Amino acid sequence: MSLELCNETAPTLAQVRQSLVSLIKQADRAGANALLNSWAAHHGYEQVFKELLEPALIGIGESITGEKHTLAQAYVAAKVAEDMLTRAVNQPGASDHDEPAKGPVVLGNPEGDFHALGRRMVATMLRSKGWLIHDLGNDVPAEEFIGQALATGARIIGVSAMTMTTAQGIRALRQEIDARGLRGRIQLAVGGAVFLVMPGLAEDVGGDGTASSMFAAPALFDRLWQASLQAELSHA
Amino acid sequence: MHSAMRFANLLRDQPTDRRLFTLVLSLYGARLTACPLDQHYTDPLAYARGQSAVRETFQPDVLFAPVAVALIGAAFGGRLRYLTSNAPTLAQPAIESAGEWQDLNIPDPERQPHLVFVREALRRMVAEHRDQVPVAALFLTPVDIPMLVMGMDAWMDTVLFDRPAAQRIARSLIPFFVTMTNGYLDDGAAYVILPCAFASPGIVPRTIAEQFSRPIMAEALAQLRGPVALHHLDPPLLPHLDLLADLPAVGGFSLASADSLSQARTLLGRQPILLGGPEVRLLRQGTSGEVEATCRAVLEDRRDDPRFILCNSGADLWLDTPPENIHAVRRAVESWASER
Repeated sequence: MSLELCNETAPTLAQVRQSLVSLIKQADRAGANALLNSWAAHHGYEQVFKELLEPALIGIGESITGEKHTLAQAYVAAKVAEDMLTRAVNQPGASDHDEPAKGPVVLGNPEGDFHALGRRMVATMLRSKGWLIHDLGNDVPAEEFIGQALATGARIIGVSAMTMTTAQGIRALRQEIDARGLRGRIQLAVGGAVFLVMPGLAEDVGGDGTASSMFAAPALFDRLWQASLQAELSHA
Repeated sequence: MHSAMRFANLLRDQPTDRRLFTLVLSLYGARLTACPLDQHYTDPLAYARGQSAVRETFQPDVLFAPVAVALIGAAFGGRLRYLTSNAPTLAQPAIESAGEWQDLNIPDPERQPHLVFVREALRRMVAEHRDQVPVAALFLTPVDIPMLVMGMDAWMDTVLFDRPAAQRIARSLIPFFVTMTNGYLDDGAAYVILPCAFASPGIVPRTIAEQFSRPIMAEALAQLRGPVALHHLDPPLLPHLDLLADLPAVGGFSLASADSLSQARTLLGRQPILLGGPEVRLLRQGTSGEVEATCRAVLEDRRDDPRFILCNSGADLWLDTPPENIHAVRRAVESWASER
């Protein structure tokens, strides 16, 4: 799909966003990429993110939260964001991107959890918002999460769990953070399928916050980062 | 009246002394026999012993052969991790992309150890219980097996962005699926449960369920020698139920607690058996009073629907589900019957 963006009948920004949302919901990755490329050709990749992709992803997150949400739609949204990120960083002048990188943060699945899909989609969403991610992969022990956070200066550890059993394993990470006196300084973000169907589980396993979908993850990480800074100030 | 008679009467539209009920207690058998889970999922005798304990303790009307889909992925060469509080999980799929599929060997159902374990556990259970309690087995359709062979990411990618390859792969699995499922039926399984992932409204949009999954499922199911029940997996199934309604060999639907059983019955007509009831999370975390009340509400909702089995929605019950909550399900069925 391509849209003529420069003549007198060019669609409004709102219409282009709506077209993008519609294409992603139909799992039309090629169509979504064509539309974004067309926009980027006239406005540049930075504007693609600011004016088109980010608002569209937020819109998708709002519109497909709940029963109409399918994993396939979320997957396509993440793929489109990933495609656009890849293209943007390969553009001449990409280093001119004036938005400072956020983070770093550490992501991973807890011990015994091998369901990578959700974590990867969240990582893509975070990268699209400028976060620097250290993705530790599946089956990560608590000590490794903390070791990486300390080594990289990460203020947030994001843990994705698919099942109740593996979500319970997050408690060990919470205990380890507290035992090392890092509560507040290192914020624990938790998420994954099981958290969506079990209200209160995030608090129960010791999480500092959770998000209802991958689309809401960047806002959560913004909040937790600020909470970490505040905690450090209050201890200074 | 024992469970096998109830089940037979249900199928023949004959009266039963009470509503049938069952719970997926595949994992729970290990708790009752204090069996380490690596043994529970490798030793057919140990597994069957666990299901005997389930029958003795809770008296469900249907027992279950091993519910451990990761074993299917391991049979293709994936790396299995045995857990201490849940069924085994796949630590590493056999392959990472559709491009590797052509070099993959389809496992031999008669020789591959993980497949033989499930088959042998089923045979032992049938030999011990069939005269009195039906035994159900679980497998996956050809559109869902690949997610265990190449991982969810790679299979999702293939289905979404390389449909010809996805169709080729799923179709190549039809003979394996037919051999395995007919094998379970030949071994005495009363029916085979088939969870629906790539036909689920929570996983794929309707167009994919309709254009990709349904035709392949229809082709595969047409070759079966006995009944299957389609399972909702976790999300509600109702939005796609019309697509699955007239598939061959489908005798029942196991629905989510969020599905409307009334709407499902209206959509499906009177013939298919419906299974539904409290979700596994309620059974794990609710009180026995809440569980019993939920079961009674479901039974009341199905008052005029004889072709119904009270069964937990969701997957296998967690190991730490309080036994009194499981007893509460049977108590609800018995007390509801006695009040009629």
